[in-house]
Amino acid sequence: MTTRLPTDIEARLLAAAPGGIEFSSEKNVQGVTYAWCGLAQTADLASVAKLLVELGARLSMISGLQPPAPAVEEEEEEDDEAEDSEDKAEPVEKPAPTTFGGTAIDGTTYEINYHFDIGGDTLTVIAYAPHEGSVPSLTPYFRPASWPEREIMEMYAVTFDGHPDPRRLFIDASIDKAVLERLIPYSTLVNAASTKDLWDRVLAGKGGQS
Amino acid sequence: MSADPQISKVSTIPVGPLHVALEEPMYFRIDVDGENVTGVDINAGHVHRGVEYLTMKRTMTQNVVLTERICSLCSNSHPETFVMAAENIAGITIPERAAFLRVIAAEVKRVASHLFNVAILAHLTGYEMLFMHVMQIREIAQDLKETVFGNRMDLAAMCIGGVRYNLDAEMTAYMLGALDKLEPEVQAIIKTYKTNSSILRRTRGVGVIAKDEAISVGAVGPVARAAGIDYDVRVVAPYAAYNKLTVPVPTLKDGDVWSRAMIRLYEVANSIQMLRDCLKLLPGGAINLGERPDIPAGRAVAKCEAPRGELIYYLKTNGEEIPERVKWRVPSFMNWDALHFMFKGSKIADIAIIVNSIDPCVSCTER
Repeated sequence: MTTRLPTDIEARLLAAAPGGIEFSSEKNVQGVTYAWCGLAQTADLASVAKLLVELGARLSMISGLQPPAPAVEEEEEEDDEAEDSEDKAEPVEKPAPTTFGGTAIDGTTYEINYHFDIGGDTLTVIAYAPHEGSVPSLTPYFRPASWPEREIMEMYAVTFDGHPDPRRLFIDASIDKAVLERLIPYSTLVNAASTKDLWDRVLAGKGGQS
Repeated sequence: MSADPQISKVSTIPVGPLHVALEEPMYFRIDVDGENVTGVDINAGHVHRGVEYLTMKRTMTQNVVLTERICSLCSNSHPETFVMAAENIAGITIPERAAFLRVIAAEVKRVASHLFNVAILAHLTGYEMLFMHVMQIREIAQDLKETVFGNRMDLAAMCIGGVRYNLDAEMTAYMLGALDKLEPEVQAIIKTYKTNSSILRRTRGVGVIAKDEAISVGAVGPVARAAGIDYDVRVVAPYAAYNKLTVPVPTLKDGDVWSRAMIRLYEVANSIQMLRDCLKLLPGGAINLGERPDIPAGRAVAKCEAPRGELIYYLKTNGEEIPERVKWRVPSFMNWDALHFMFKGSKIADIAIIVNSIDPCVSCTER
C-alpha cells in the first residue's frame, strides 16, 4: 500500500534543486531508510516540495534550530601532526565555518529540518537561513506545514514567506519574539512576576542593596 | 421562513479553554448557523511549559526522565523514542530481550490509553454506567502496570541501550493471568460499542473525515486508520521487536466518531494478543548494556507508534552530555487540524464528542 523512498531519490532531488544538494542515506537493520538532504539554496525548497508531493510524501515534522558557533578551543586540541602543519600555515587565516551552501555558522543563523515520511522511510530536507532571514513557506504544498512554521516563527527570528496565517501559535502576542534564543524568566513568561518586596528581601539576604 | 434582516443567522460561540466537556484546556471559536457548525478557529497555548527548552539544559540521561513527563497517557512512548534517537546516533543495537520488554511496556500503555478514551466517549454520550464499567476494566491494566513497573502511569522502563525492568517467572504468570481476565471483558466492550443504540446514535455518521482529507491534514494513528489509511509505524518502520511479531493493522472506511472508537477497541484486543506473544517469545539475556553509553556527535530521527499515532523525535548532539537540540512532534499535533473537516456540518451538541474522538493530548501538543 505504501511506496518507499525510491532508489534514485538522490538524482531526482538534484534535478529539483539545481543549486546543489548534500545527500546521505542509511538503511538500518530493520530495513528502514533515513536520508538527509541539505539544500545549498532555500529557493530550491519549492521545487523539492513539488517533487515530494509527487512521491506521496507526508510532512511529518519541521525542526528549527540555531546551531552554536564551533568552539575555538576544540581546534587547538587536535593531535600533534595537525598542530605542526597549522603552525607552518599560520599566516593563512582559516575561513569562517559555513553550512553547505555558504550560510555562516556563527551562532545566529538557522537550520530548518523538514522531516518527510515516505511509506515509513524518513527524508530530512535541510534549509539554512540567516538571522532575521526567511525561507519560503511549504503551506502551498503541504497543509501540515502551517502549525510547525508558526511555532518556529515564534521561537526564532526567522520567517516563512507566504504563510497564510502567520499568527503566534502557542505563545501570547504580548511576549517578545524569538523566545528560544534568550533566557526569559519563567515568572515573566507566565505573567506571574512577584512583588518588589520579595526582590528587596532576596537582595538584602545576599547582602546587597535594592 | 423568510430571512429577517434584523437577526444575524450566524453567530460565534466560545468552547473552552475551560469547559466541562474538555479534559484539558483548548479554546475553540466556533461559528454557528442555528444549530450547525460552519467554521472553527483553534487557539492553543494554554499549557505551554517550555519543555523543549528544558531538554537542551539537561543531560541525555536526565532527558530520559524528563521526556517521560511530557504526557501521562503516552508517557512511555516519549522516552522510548528519545532513547531510540540516541541509539541511532551511537549505533547501539539493544539486546534482544530488551527489544521485547520495550514492546511489552508500549502495548500495556496502549491498552490503558485506548480504554480511557473509549470510556470518556461513553461519558460524553451520557451513558455513565458504561463509562464506569470501561474504567473498571481499565483498572486491570492499571493494576498490571503498578505490579510490574511499580507505577500506574510513568513506567520508567526505558534507558539508553535497553530497559530498566525485568520479568521473572512469577511476574510473567501474573501478567498472563491479568491478560486472561482482561480479554473477555474487552470482547464484551467491543460487542457493546458495536450494538448499543445509545452509542451508535451519537457516534455513527458524526464528525466524519474523508480519506483524502485525512491525508491532506497528515492525520496519524487511529484517526487516520478509521478513515481508511493503512499506516502504522510498527509495521512500515519496525523498531524494537515488532518485526518478530504479528502486528494487525485494523482500518475502517467511514471516518466517523464510531469508527475511531472501534479502531481503538480492536487495537486493545490486538495488543493483548501481542503481549501474550511477547511473553511466549521473550528470549533470555541482558536487559541493557550495563553502562551509560557515551553519545557521540551526530543527528538522528526516530519514530514510534504511540497510542495516538506516529510520534517522531529529532535529536542533534555535539559529543557533549547535553544535547544541542531535541525536537519532537506528537500525534495530536497533526490531528487537531482534522477537526476543521470533522466539524463541518456537525451540531453544537456533538462538539465535545468530536473533540474527544481525536483523543487529543494538549500537554503533549504544547509541551
